[in-house]
Formats: sequence, structure tokens, C-alpha cells
Amino acid sequence: MSSSDTMHFAFVRPDPLPPNGRSVAIVGAGPSGLAAAGYLASLGYEVDIYDKLPKAGGLMTFGIPSQRIPPARIQAGVLELERKYGVNFHLQTKICCSAPLHEEEGDHFSCDIRGLGELVEDHDAVIICTGSWKSRALNIPGEHLSGVYTSLQFLFPIRAAGYGKPGVTAPAVQGLDVVVIGAGHSAADVAHSALRLGARSVSICYRKTRRDAPCGLFEIDQLEAAGARFLEQHTPVRFDGEGSLAGLVCRVPHQEELVYIPAQAAATAIGEIPTPPFAKELGLENVRKGDVKWLNMTAIENVFVAGDVLTGPSKIGKAIESGLKAARSLANWLDLKAQSRQAEFQDEERVPRPSPRTSPH
Amino acid sequence: MSESPAGKVLYVDYSTCIGCETCETVCGFLHDAPRIHMTRTRDGVLVPLYCRHCEKAHCIRACHRGALARDRDGAVVLQPMLCRGCETRECTQSCPYAAMVLTNKGVAVRKCDMCSERRAIGLGPACAAMCPTGAIRFLDRCELACAETEAAKDAEKRVLAHLRPSANK
Repeated sequence: MSSSDTMHFAFVRPDPLPPNGRSVAIVGAGPSGLAAAGYLASLGYEVDIYDKLPKAGGLMTFGIPSQRIPPARIQAGVLELERKYGVNFHLQTKICCSAPLHEEEGDHFSCDIRGLGELVEDHDAVIICTGSWKSRALNIPGEHLSGVYTSLQFLFPIRAAGYGKPGVTAPAVQGLDVVVIGAGHSAADVAHSALRLGARSVSICYRKTRRDAPCGLFEIDQLEAAGARFLEQHTPVRFDGEGSLAGLVCRVPHQEELVYIPAQAAATAIGEIPTPPFAKELGLENVRKGDVKWLNMTAIENVFVAGDVLTGPSKIGKAIESGLKAARSLANWLDLKAQSRQAEFQDEERVPRPSPRTSPH
Repeated sequence: MSESPAGKVLYVDYSTCIGCETCETVCGFLHDAPRIHMTRTRDGVLVPLYCRHCEKAHCIRACHRGALARDRDGAVVLQPMLCRGCETRECTQSCPYAAMVLTNKGVAVRKCDMCSERRAIGLGPACAAMCPTGAIRFLDRCELACAETEAAKDAEKRVLAHLRPSANK
């Protein structure tokens, strides 16, 4: 396997240290979970990693289009973790507190549901890296009409359809007019995908100006070159239609009349919110504020947390950093705990506050 | 030192980079402070600025103390013992790629050494190992020409136009 085709999650060592007799469970096999798994497996930990989806990689595999991140590179990295570093992958397994809540995108993929309590008892420590999978709502009328998607609802099935679940198909937008709301990287990804799926027209509505767009002017130029229309300073007011979507009504500054954009499909790409299992029990608010003795440790002593589930949607790099730091913190804690010297630990830094600007990359 | 260096080089294909910051954060995790830095061009493209370990490195010539030298793999590395205490920091001005970073304590600047300690035990730079898209590569200098696709050259031009607006007009 050539090194240029593999994402080396266990980059800290050329090979794993001999088993150290400790086991760690990681919930979520996205960027932060895989980075934490790679770090700990390199140090000789036995790592069990759980994910509700049929493939590892999280949004690198199921959210961001394959044109941007080569799927083979991620899967080669996963295979390396499995074969060379002995990480045990438990896919299609959702970790829950109580009754399973089927309310996030991708839940229908999981076959097995296990409790967090079980994991905590079976392992020396647990890291939760479940990300932010719930889309933020616009809170305007008509949002529940058929044909209105969130960016994840739109992007997820495109990637998931290829991963062997018969019921999942890419959004049927062929020949339709599609409107995308938002101008971040997800919005750009949705617009590009809609064009590739054969939409008749794609309009991107953004409430601020072109210059303010988080995806950047260059990306907007690319989208326009590909055939999309960028409508700046268009604030969505309501979705129109009976039963299914017929159009989007927008307000434009200095204009009395509202603008009507005919559309049979729409995607809102205005960010996601974290979906931590049992946020309250774990005291995540305190972890966010850095109000804990151990970096990334939750209210339950041997449960750590990392990635977007803690910070809100950020970027792959930030999630990876968080995963690595949580793994290091966890390893330090277990090392000192084994010698009953926890009191000696010096917390080096606080967990960064969530940034107001969000993007999926 | 007149013969052209063979050895290794770090290369970022700006056309396939998605600006995810993995390189910067992984570098920072290993080296305490990152030596590869994300920048956002005026066109809103996020890309990392990085040391090219140039064949004819301006920084090596600019440093009067000889604190910048080429190691056995062709990497331009900083010798902290010689750099320490420098006030002119001319190396940072001389770098066309904004890859030398000022620090506010101890050694005056920091720069990429292509993960010198990792190379010593047979590993490559961590940024290249962890890049999700494969945009960062650790190459033999002779492979560089093949790696530079037309799209990559165009993207590079846009980044350099951002770094040096006057040079391109």
C-alpha cells in the first residue's frame, strides 16, 4: 500500500507498541474518533470503535462529496488501523443511553443498539466523538413540505446509496429546479451535487452579500461556471406549495415586493447542531467551558469527549486535533491513575469555544 | 554546496486541498506550535502556507548566522542554537512563500523541518500522513514535476497572487 493513498490515523508511530493491557471504547468513527483510535492503538491500547453507519469515516465518508475527499484513501486508513494496529471496528452499532431515538440522519443504518453503561463497565475508558448530525432549522413556514431537505438529508443519501442499503437513494432532483439556502461549504457541496444529479436549475440564496459568503468568491465563481445562480441578499421568508414544494419566497433589501423563486426541491445548508448522547449526565457544558480538571473528561470519570460533539460543527482538522488531545489526556490520566497519582496532573489548556462560523470541511 | 540538492520535498496541491486544517492541527499537536499555516485568500480559498525547502533557498542566504542549513534529505532546517537571540529576522522577509513564522519567545522564528525526528526513524512528515485528501505529499524532488498538474499550477498561481499582489500586475 503506497503511503500516498492512505490516511495514516496512527501517524505517531511506525508500528504499535506491544499491548499494554488497557482497553478503550470510542463512540463514533469520524475524524476525531479515528484520530483518537490511531493514537491509542499506537501506544498499545486495545481499541474498540463503534459507529452507527456501515462504513467508518463519518462525514468524511458520508457528508463531503467524494470529489473532494477520495473515499479509497479514508478506507485504506481504516483498513490499516484494523489490520496493522488491531483496532476492532463495530459498525452499524449505535450507542444509546435509553430507548433508541431515530431522529438523526443515518440512524436507519444501525442494526445493533448498545448502552453506554455497558461500554463504561467493559473498558478502562470511553471517548465520545459522535459529531454534530442534526441540521439547524430555518424556522420559517413550509419547512416540512416534501421536497425540502437539509444539507445532510441531501448529501448523506448520495454517498450512502453506494454503501449497500437498498432503501437509500440519492435525492431525485433530475429535471427539477433546486434552491439551496446558505453559502457555506455544505451549500456549495449541495449545489454541485444537485447539478451533477441533473437538476434543471440550481439557485443559491444567501441573506448577505457575495463577499460575505463563507465558501468564498472563488467557489461562487466555480458554481456559476458550472451553471448555478447565486442570489445574494435573499432572505428566505417561507416555502410555498401544497403538500410538496412549489417555490421559495424571499425578501430582498430596499424592495417592497417579495421575490418568488420557483423550485420543486430545496436544501437548507445553514449548519448543524451537536447531538451528544446524554449531554446532561456527562456535564458537557462544563467540559466546553474548560471547567474540568482533566482536558476533555466528562462528569463521568472515565468518559472523555472530543470533536464536533463538544465544539459544534467545525472542520476536519479541528475534530482531529480534539480527538488527539482527548486521547493524550486519557492516556495520561490512565497512566497516573495506575500509580494512584491523579493529583499530579497539570491541565495544559482549555477546550476552545465553538466558533460562530461553521463549515463542514 | 553548489550541486543541486536531490533529496525530499513537501508539496501541496492547492487544487485538491479543501482547507480542512488537518495539516496545521496535526503539526501543532506534534511540535507544540504549527509550522504550516492556513490562510484565506481574498477569493475566500483556504489553503496552507508551507515551506517548499527551495532548491535555491533565499532564507539560507539571508541568515547571517548560518542558522539555516540543509540536512541529508534536502530539508532546510533551523539550528535553534544559532538562531536564538537574532533581532533582524531577515529570513522571514526573504521567504517568498511566507513559511517562516515569528515567535515571541526563545528562538526567534520557527519553520518546517519536514518532521526531522520522524524522518530519523523512517516516517514521513505528519501533515502528509494525515491529509484527508492526499493534497500534501512527501516526494523525491525529482517527482515534483510530475505532481504539478495544470490545475495545481493554476491554483498555486492564485495563492501566490494573493501573497504578492504587486508581482503579478
